[in-house]
Amino acid sequence: MVNSLKNGAQMKIQQMAFMIVAVLIFFVLVGLAFIGWQFIGIKDNFNNLQKEQAIASIRTISDMPEFNCDSRRSLCVDEDKLIVMANSSYSGFWNVASIRAYKILEKKSYLVYDSKQKNRKEFSTYVLICKKITGNYEKCDIGKLSVGVVDG
Amino acid sequence: MNKRGEFNFSLIFALVAGAAILVLAIYGAMKVSDTQRYQTDSEIAKKIAILTDPLQAGFAEGKKGEITFTADTRINNYCLDGQFGANEISVSTRAEIGDEWKDSGAATTIRSKYIFSGMRETGKKFTIFSKQFYFPYKVSDLIFLISGKYCFVDTPKEIESEISGMNIQNIEMGNCSSDSVRVCFGSSNCNINVRGTCTGSCNTAYDEGYVLKNGKKLDYTGSLMYGAIFSDTGIYECNVKRLMYRSGRIADVFSKKTDLMNSRSCNTNLKGDLVVFGGMALNASMDNLMQLNQIAKLIENKNQQELCRAW
Repeated sequence: MVNSLKNGAQMKIQQMAFMIVAVLIFFVLVGLAFIGWQFIGIKDNFNNLQKEQAIASIRTISDMPEFNCDSRRSLCVDEDKLIVMANSSYSGFWNVASIRAYKILEKKSYLVYDSKQKNRKEFSTYVLICKKITGNYEKCDIGKLSVGVVDG
Repeated sequence: MNKRGEFNFSLIFALVAGAAILVLAIYGAMKVSDTQRYQTDSEIAKKIAILTDPLQAGFAEGKKGEITFTADTRINNYCLDGQFGANEISVSTRAEIGDEWKDSGAATTIRSKYIFSGMRETGKKFTIFSKQFYFPYKVSDLIFLISGKYCFVDTPKEIESEISGMNIQNIEMGNCSSDSVRVCFGSSNCNINVRGTCTGSCNTAYDEGYVLKNGKKLDYTGSLMYGAIFSDTGIYECNVKRLMYRSGRIADVFSKKTDLMNSRSCNTNLKGDLVVFGGMALNASMDNLMQLNQIAKLIENKNQQELCRAW
């Protein structure tokens, strides 16, 4: 009689323990699924913010005194400055992964900065690439300024 | 007797297990909420960095924008000097439950911008405006971030029209309200006092000078005046140091550009001046600002007289 009561109690404890373990596993699985979903959200947000930053910074970079023709014209890049910048160390300054400028007709390119990061996505805009020949004469070509960001 | 014991044990076991699960669930929910808040705060900091791109003055005299949050928000600005340096912007939002202000989200490092603000700006509405900084060529756009109210007293006409042109509502002209920080031009009865020292070829006496604030004297030139007024003194000194370094690096770009121009017979005699000025600016701080400004003015005059101007 005592033995059967003991066995019954043990069974109930075992049942309850199994139930608790099952409930815990269920919550852990739900938690893991939620964290996974959250991480996808974070990654998407990070990529979107990186792209937004690249698009917003193209104009800002072309208008920087290190590149611009003069302080009155937007989206105009000085070719002499491009040559200088392509050969100088400005690393640690840029918030983007790469900066490159192309002269479309002459098929000439200037790599200003390359962080050497993989999985890059580039965004570009058309700019004027000008060079001062004399005090009053400037030679300009159509070019592209391309800014790279790390893509997820 | 035994049955009662068995019932009691089951009840106690279920209660303990249930309480443990409940505590774990509440703890988990709080952790998830904290993580989400950290994520949102980090995203806001990054968005502020992005939003300041179109707000840069560019070719305009100045530009203004506003950022409005639904809840009280604290924007922390930490300035790192040393070469190009950086502004580290982080954000924390006010919680309705638990600690009022939790740790801020991940900081966004901004190297190519110069953000002048208090170390902690708190509020729902933030005004951001930017002004160009020349030294003697354009160095960068300066960004000013303010959340509090300011009142300018005895403001010179030029500065008054600059402020009213940008329609900055945080800055009152005369008629000060009781909760605003008073900024006096020329006198010394206010929380912040501005003295202009520019003589000779200046638009106003306030083209250069100094700002007296919290017992400190902050030298300024050009649009740095707003930086000295609105920002924390440490952030101001740090940003000035960064700007001087950037100015020195741009001098190097211009000096190498003059070599290329000279090779095309587009001659300019600025190289020597630019090399000397650049060398001095690279290691300069706020203490050297006025001295360097005199050299910058001379270089600007020389450049204006050149047939082939470097800028």
